[in-house]
Amino acid sequence: MSKFNLLMMQLYKSKFKSKSFILMTCLYVLLMSVAIFWSDIKALFTGEDEAQQIAIVNETSAELSGIFVSNGDIAFIQDEQDVAALEKRVEDGKLDAIVRVSDQEGQLHAEIATFVPLKLNDQTTLSSLLQYAGQHYAVQQLSLSPEQAAQIMSAQTIISTKNLNEASTGGKSEEEKQSGLWVSYGIGILIYFFISTFLSMITTEIASEKGSRAMEMLLASVKPATHFKAKIAGVLLLALTQMGIIVAAFLLYAKFVKDGVIWNAAATIIKELSISYVIYAVVFLLLTIILYLIVGALFGSLVSKVEEAGQVLMPAMMVTLIGFYVMLSGIGNPDTILIKVFSYIPFTSGMVMPMRIGATDIGGMVPMLSLGILIATIVVVYLFSLSFYKRSVLTYSTGGVIQKIKTVLKVTT
Amino acid sequence: MTLQLQHVTKKYKDFTAVNDLNFTIEKGEIFGLIGQNGAGKTTTFRMILDLQETTAGTITWDGQPVNTINRDILGYLPEERGIFPTMKVEEQLYFFGELRGMKRAELKKDIDFWIQRFELEEKRKDKAETLSKGNQQKVQLIASFIHKPKFLILDEPFSGLDPVNKDLLKDAILLLKEQGTTILFSSHQMDNVEELCDHLCLLKRGASLFSGSLLDLKKQYGKTKLAVRTGWSTTQLLALEGVKDVRVEKEQTVLMLEDERYAQSIFEQLSNGKYIEKFSLDYLSLDEIFKDKVGGNVVEV
Repeated sequence: MSKFNLLMMQLYKSKFKSKSFILMTCLYVLLMSVAIFWSDIKALFTGEDEAQQIAIVNETSAELSGIFVSNGDIAFIQDEQDVAALEKRVEDGKLDAIVRVSDQEGQLHAEIATFVPLKLNDQTTLSSLLQYAGQHYAVQQLSLSPEQAAQIMSAQTIISTKNLNEASTGGKSEEEKQSGLWVSYGIGILIYFFISTFLSMITTEIASEKGSRAMEMLLASVKPATHFKAKIAGVLLLALTQMGIIVAAFLLYAKFVKDGVIWNAAATIIKELSISYVIYAVVFLLLTIILYLIVGALFGSLVSKVEEAGQVLMPAMMVTLIGFYVMLSGIGNPDTILIKVFSYIPFTSGMVMPMRIGATDIGGMVPMLSLGILIATIVVVYLFSLSFYKRSVLTYSTGGVIQKIKTVLKVTT
Repeated sequence: MTLQLQHVTKKYKDFTAVNDLNFTIEKGEIFGLIGQNGAGKTTTFRMILDLQETTAGTITWDGQPVNTINRDILGYLPEERGIFPTMKVEEQLYFFGELRGMKRAELKKDIDFWIQRFELEEKRKDKAETLSKGNQQKVQLIASFIHKPKFLILDEPFSGLDPVNKDLLKDAILLLKEQGTTILFSSHQMDNVEELCDHLCLLKRGASLFSGSLLDLKKQYGKTKLAVRTGWSTTQLLALEGVKDVRVEKEQTVLMLEDERYAQSIFEQLSNGKYIEKFSLDYLSLDEIFKDKVGGNVVEV
């Protein structure tokens, strides 16, 4: 085995067996399981709840019983008239609420009487039902024919788009943009978590080798450049392994759980997003991780011991956080100038650009340009780090980050 | 197979770590690099190992510049103790051996041999961080030469070892020498240097004060250390011709002479033709030479 492979595999094996890696991977799979089985889990927790018993006292002449339909959360009791008896039952806890619907100057008036206030969820449901009932009531007052009434109640605007630019194939539909937005959000979160995990992994790995002074033993036999590359490759391999496990777990779920519903949903989303989006997203994900790993390795070589790793990790973590929050801001509106600017900055473009590709109408040039900037940055940062690493990795110094860089420059030039 | 340093200099922005250093180490010999902390020993080692570049001068191994040779013929034990804390002792040795291009099968015999020799048999499956400092050092030492380097550099190999382990290490160094390994080591424990080294180089603030054989160094000072047991007082002894300094020790009095030739007249005066219990003239110990050379009053030689 070459020295490069030996170093890489040594890192890979030791980290692969480490508790933190196993725990993190399990956590990702667990989170995914929770997301996939959310409805079952929810049922498990809420299924035992009894439906709220709500009596409807209709004091108007209008027919409203068709609106208040019982479901799993609320059971409506219709056609009751004896309010006093009902109030007694509420006080006894046999009934949860009484809704008295009456006419007030042509408008529907509803009074909700409770002994224990209703839950927020039930309150919201009830309010929207009453709102609907109010509209229904108003329509009934106009003495329209049932067909006319039905037409008003079910009125909806039909929206279609027409592209006047013959050069382009037309923009994305709202559904396409929506799914693009949510998938990009997922990818952004994934990039954020991966960067946080593996950035600190490579920094502490190199810092601990430096701190335990195993570094000198190693560098007597391998060139610093080989060591640097092997560390990056090792952590990258580990990141790919973790991604592989997650993807494999997802595919297993998709194929064998819930009769392939998830599989179909995923296939629909990918179809809506187009294959080029998926390729872009994966390329951005990988390149961003590589960029951060290079920076992480360089930072690790700056500190003298593992305890100081946090000091150099802070700035990099801040940058990822900025990217993450810019991406979050894009969920509300992915077309802001903020998003546009950050989608070109190499350290944040991985999180922001997939969102622009998926959820906005941009030409093919924009992501290519952003990708080009990212690749160019990686090359420059790599070459710089490689030459700096040779000098910093055996230099031990105290003080802040700036002081450390100064010391490296002082003692190696 | 020789290592040669010619006019090697390492300058940083505001100070010179190594200044115009010259020495040659012949194949199969043990060479000592001696100096105080900060004298430039570790910097010199790092330059030989191509971990740092020289500002000026050349370092060659067998006529080839060191930065072009195969690194696997070198072995290095750094001054700071460093091994992988969570790796098992045995794995550690395999790892460093493999890193030097050896195969596991080739390594097994040597690892078994050295583990046994350094009395680490019970610890071979233990994680390095659970070992005592001395044992960690032994593991690191084995790791530095498990690949049978032609040239081995040991930076302060004796520090932190108890007398028993020191002897184990000395024996190991001599065994490696027998097997043909050229060894360069640094120490500030002069007794070890005196016992092991064929040649040495004295460093002070990056500059070489002496480079050559131990005997040559001692001869430069001559036999100027005279130990006696006598009833004479210090004042009386100091008044004798050729006596530079007098030091009273527990069982004897040590006179430092200006020159070897005064010894005979001092003997005649002290004994006065009668029996004398102790009169011993000898070379200075390396320790004393080192203190004399490095400790300010540099005697030009």
